[in-house]
Amino acid sequence: MGSYDVIFYILSIVSLGAALGVIFFPSPIYSALMLAITMSGLAAMFFTLEAYFLAGVQLIVYAGAVVVLFVMVLMLFDLRKESQPFSGQKISNFFKAGIIAAASMALIIPLSTVFFIRTEKTKPVTTVDLAGTLFTKYVFAFEAIGILLLVVLVGALALAKSRGGTHE
Amino acid sequence: MLDQLLPILILLLIVIVFGAGMLYLTSLAGPKAKQTPERLMPYECGIPGQDPQTTKFPVKFYLTAISFILFDIEVIFLYPWTLIYIENIKQMGGYLLISMGLFMGILVFGLFYEWAAGGLEWD
Amino acid sequence: MGADKVEIAINTVKIAIIFLMMIQMVPLLVWLERRGSAFIQNRFGPNRVGPLGLMQLLADAVKFITKEQFVPANAVKFLFLAAPVIALVPAALAFAAIPLATPIHIDPFHLLGQSWGPYTIEMQSVRMNVGIIYILGVSSLGAYGLLIAGWASGNKYSLLGAIRASAQMISYELALGLAIVGILMIYGTFDLNKMIEMQQGPFSFQFMGQAYEISWLPNWGIFFQPLGALLFFIATFAESNRLPFDLPESEGELVAGFHTEYGGFKMLMFFMGEYGHMMVGAGLVTTFYLGGFQSPFVWQTYDYMLNLAIAHHGPGTVASALTTGYFLIWFSIKVGLLLWVFIWVRWTLPRFRYDTLMDLGWKTLLPWTLGNVALTAIVLYWARAM
Repeated sequence: MGSYDVIFYILSIVSLGAALGVIFFPSPIYSALMLAITMSGLAAMFFTLEAYFLAGVQLIVYAGAVVVLFVMVLMLFDLRKESQPFSGQKISNFFKAGIIAAASMALIIPLSTVFFIRTEKTKPVTTVDLAGTLFTKYVFAFEAIGILLLVVLVGALALAKSRGGTHE
Repeated sequence: MLDQLLPILILLLIVIVFGAGMLYLTSLAGPKAKQTPERLMPYECGIPGQDPQTTKFPVKFYLTAISFILFDIEVIFLYPWTLIYIENIKQMGGYLLISMGLFMGILVFGLFYEWAAGGLEWD
Repeated sequence: MGADKVEIAINTVKIAIIFLMMIQMVPLLVWLERRGSAFIQNRFGPNRVGPLGLMQLLADAVKFITKEQFVPANAVKFLFLAAPVIALVPAALAFAAIPLATPIHIDPFHLLGQSWGPYTIEMQSVRMNVGIIYILGVSSLGAYGLLIAGWASGNKYSLLGAIRASAQMISYELALGLAIVGILMIYGTFDLNKMIEMQQGPFSFQFMGQAYEISWLPNWGIFFQPLGALLFFIATFAESNRLPFDLPESEGELVAGFHTEYGGFKMLMFFMGEYGHMMVGAGLVTTFYLGGFQSPFVWQTYDYMLNLAIAHHGPGTVASALTTGYFLIWFSIKVGLLLWVFIWVRWTLPRFRYDTLMDLGWKTLLPWTLGNVALTAIVLYWARAM
């Protein structure tokens, strides 16, 4: 077992443990913080795969923006009083969820080993390659993302501007 | 590949050990004062404390955060573009300029729309 | 990390030393800030303990360590204690990627009956090929420390301060990220070391197929991107929550903002985080716009200085280390001057109101940075492709 494997297992344990924490912590704020750790762990995993730019994006967009939004909103509308639906679940529900998760894993893992895992060493994809493909082959999708982001912005504005509900 | 990750992880470990160690050290070195209920109250200039949970926050903070995410994604797309722009400026500079200009134009339109709709006002 | 045990050991120690140096800068900066503010406000400042009040640093350190470890009853204990450490992490991690000087080349040597080396020790904790993306990524985690501190304190003011702080940080992060796009466009790389390499030599550029050169001016980014440099520097102020952007801790309204309930060493760690962000900001401005660790005198290139050192001390580790030291001094001078600007501004400008602060971020800096990006792209196209 080389140092690469050791790092891989440490990062996997951290990411998966934090991901489990997201589900099992009764307090939503702790769940959101665990999600931040999961995202940072995934960023480090991208690093080990030499996908440096994706690692940065994972950190900037997910850990640094999306989860910050979650944490902020949870703190704004503090859900301490409304945390019962999260904590008071019956054990049987966990079992059902566990069985479904185990079944899907049992399906996905063999399939992925057959179809997706390539063992031969491929040439690492650099950020320049990524940019080249993005702005030539997928340029239409890229422009479509612009439209999508605009739609999201308009939707968020409409939500925030609406009266009534929990906020004023 | 590990050359760039391992130093970060080691540094992270050093920082956490440093922080936790210093907290532990100060808890050993510091005085142990007798804790009274008044002493443990949240700081509020002497008047009885107000529960932070009863404080209401404007929804503006949420709008700020979500518009930040959207523009952040825009900035993220600009970064790989900067890598190839100057290299290929002779062959396809105009094409790159137009494709990014279109994308940014859409989002700048979004920014001005938000501005006009009063989404950036703090009153 | 290294090919053998000695190199790994050297690199690990180097990481620890760079981190501790950064921590050690904090008391010095606090002293500078207090003396500087006194100078600006025409008073004395700390001048009793030791020469120029320098021993005040030691006295402060002892005071910080011997303070009571206080946790209020309303607080969430674990997060309350973890928040200062979390606030320290982003600054420390971001600083690790900034190149401080040229690498030291260590000649082969004998130790414990074995021969080791030669080694090349980079003067930065980690040499990243996506340095700037990594720095932006880790510093975007800075909001967590403040949010956790504010929420876990169980105090109204803390929570208000934390929410304000995070909204402010994310607003200015956009301006920060966009302000450097212009200079990234010119360099065409994310690697901080390569950026410094590209700023070597005299000021030169191409325009409409012709090359121009000004021999006495260094080839620094600030001459290509003066507006970008200014906008970036402003945004780093807001990122480090310094006056005039210190709304999160505006004492007139929020007592002390997110760190109202903190005292002693926990408080000091928030300080370290803030000063760390300042150092990262100053380091990045230096790297992007002021030629990094390079000397402002154009003829003093790396080779020139190395040959000078070799002429005096002969080739080997000593000459290499001396050259590195020389460039480290230039880096320190540039960063020190920028840090002085941070302090100077703090004691000169009044604080913003919250709405004016957000207006500056969204309605002024953001359009200006976008304009800078568009302008740079068009001028580059005009100058290079036509």
